[in-house]
Amino acid sequence: MKLILAGILAGLLAATAARADEMVFTSWGGTTQEAQTKSWAAPFEASSGVKVLQDGPTDYGKLKAMVEGGSVAWDVVDVEMDFAIKAAKDGLLEPIDFTVVPKADLDPRFTTDHAVGSFYYSFVLAWNKGAVSGEPTGWADMFDLKKFPGKRTFYKWSAPGVIEIALLADGVPADKLYPLDLDRAFKKLDTIKSEIVWWDSGAQSQQLIASGEAAFGQLWNGRVFALKQDGADVGASWNQNMTAADVLVIPKGSKNKASAMKFLASATSPKGQAMFAEASGYAPVNTAAKAEMPADVVKSLPDAFVDGQINLDMNYWAQNRDTIAQRWYAWQAK
Amino acid sequence: MSGNLPHRPPVLRKPVVRTRRGLGGALPALIIVSLFFVVPVVALLLRSVTEPTPGLQNYAILFGDGTYARVFFNTFLVASIVTAVTVMVAFPVAWTLAIMPPALGSIVFGIIILSMWTNLLTRTYAWMVLLQRTGVINRTLMDIGLISEPLPLINNLTGVTIGMVYIMLPFMILPLVGTLRAIDPMTLRAAALCGASPLDAFRRILLPLSLPGIAAGGLMVFVMSLGYFVTPTLLGGTSNMMLAGMIAQMIQSLLNWGLGSAAAFILLVVTMALYALQLRLVGTQRVTGGV
Repeated sequence: MKLILAGILAGLLAATAARADEMVFTSWGGTTQEAQTKSWAAPFEASSGVKVLQDGPTDYGKLKAMVEGGSVAWDVVDVEMDFAIKAAKDGLLEPIDFTVVPKADLDPRFTTDHAVGSFYYSFVLAWNKGAVSGEPTGWADMFDLKKFPGKRTFYKWSAPGVIEIALLADGVPADKLYPLDLDRAFKKLDTIKSEIVWWDSGAQSQQLIASGEAAFGQLWNGRVFALKQDGADVGASWNQNMTAADVLVIPKGSKNKASAMKFLASATSPKGQAMFAEASGYAPVNTAAKAEMPADVVKSLPDAFVDGQINLDMNYWAQNRDTIAQRWYAWQAK
Repeated sequence: MSGNLPHRPPVLRKPVVRTRRGLGGALPALIIVSLFFVVPVVALLLRSVTEPTPGLQNYAILFGDGTYARVFFNTFLVASIVTAVTVMVAFPVAWTLAIMPPALGSIVFGIIILSMWTNLLTRTYAWMVLLQRTGVINRTLMDIGLISEPLPLINNLTGVTIGMVYIMLPFMILPLVGTLRAIDPMTLRAAALCGASPLDAFRRILLPLSLPGIAAGGLMVFVMSLGYFVTPTLLGGTSNMMLAGMIAQMIQSLLNWGLGSAAAFILLVVTMALYALQLRLVGTQRVTGGV
């Protein structure tokens, strides 16, 4: 009985499920998914003859509904890594078949039994040059309302990043961030809460900064990269940039598992990763990809900014996801 | 659209099964309703008392936690404000429509209906463009020197109210026009002849006579506002979160479906209770706009 709702939901969603020679790739939309389509789906279609349908944005609730209802319409999904670790534990994901997906060159930081890296990114501090006088140099400046007045924009959802930013700005050394001191982080965030505008999608973060609606923000580096390519007058600081990864997963019960595995192999191949990095500004998860990329692209990626770089702790987040999320949303609603 | 305006506005009309024979005809509809409404609602209720473990703990959490209490309060606050403002804006419009020559009236009526056909998301985004700090309204006011700092019109209660009132207006105007048209204009003339000022005539004649329409539209707007998601999410800040937004968060982000189902069930019960109350207070006839 408990599954009826999930079943009905999934049944409706599965109305768009792919045929045998098709599969569905789901990601976050915008410039990132465009780059994924161009770099991964198009070459894969050409080589395998399997048509890759695009869907999105990624929705963890939908993914759960599909798996529980036994009617899975998505075959490969781009998700945040801390979610992937938890979802694997909850039995929502297929194990990756590493006889199909070559593992040797994949960055072990982003490879698990149930997920392979999609790309990795950094949160960087970006600003609209017309709306800010002077140059912010680090996260602490986002908490300095006197020196840098104006709205600031942060990622709305409970996820690795903002808590760490607040703690760093409050003087916690980078190597002492974990376990996270939530009380201290929220106290620090309280000092600028009235000036925060939240962004809930990458496209929105770009729009807020480009229009000057928010003067500064914590943005995904690829979104800043795309803004600059479009000629927007934005600045970015890589000081204390924070890396996290998106990974690719296959929901349990995928009807096109074999194609999905082959898609993963293709997407994480040196060539697929190199093409995507060049198109998106995100870093490859395949260590052999750099050889395939122009030198100036390599220099612009997150792994060229390791000085002062902070790796967000995905395992810590996966373990504490629910507790932190509850505090996070309660604090936001206050 | 013809020149004749419908006197009975299309509001909350419940199909009433009067005879046994009528049941046969209603069977397909009943099957659809039970399949797509009753079954999911039962499943929802079951989920709320079985996940993660059997019991009422989800309801205990919702009623015992200050955050959720704030969201509940906020939901009713926003719905009340939106309803009140909508009534105030809709009344003059409805009155003008009611006394307008029919040909002109149907044009205005068409414009109002047309706005309802435009995609909700599009309309809400349009408000974002107008209301934001760098938006049309703030830019204009700053250019002509009326203000030096942008007014905070978005990401707060002001933004939510403006956006929602705009969307709710037709639902208030339609039943109200029906009620106002049914009022005999001679009653107002009689009031004037007896020496009542226009304000008195409004307060003691027009307003009481139009109460059924206000009640019907007001209830509809209030109930729709309670469950609103898109507009508060886009035009409000996180501190203006309403129930629907909270439920979405529980389902999508926290993946806590037990808690989300419990919250959704509470919203459903409150909504149904309000409708029942309305039926009792005003009566079926009046709720559906008949006078």
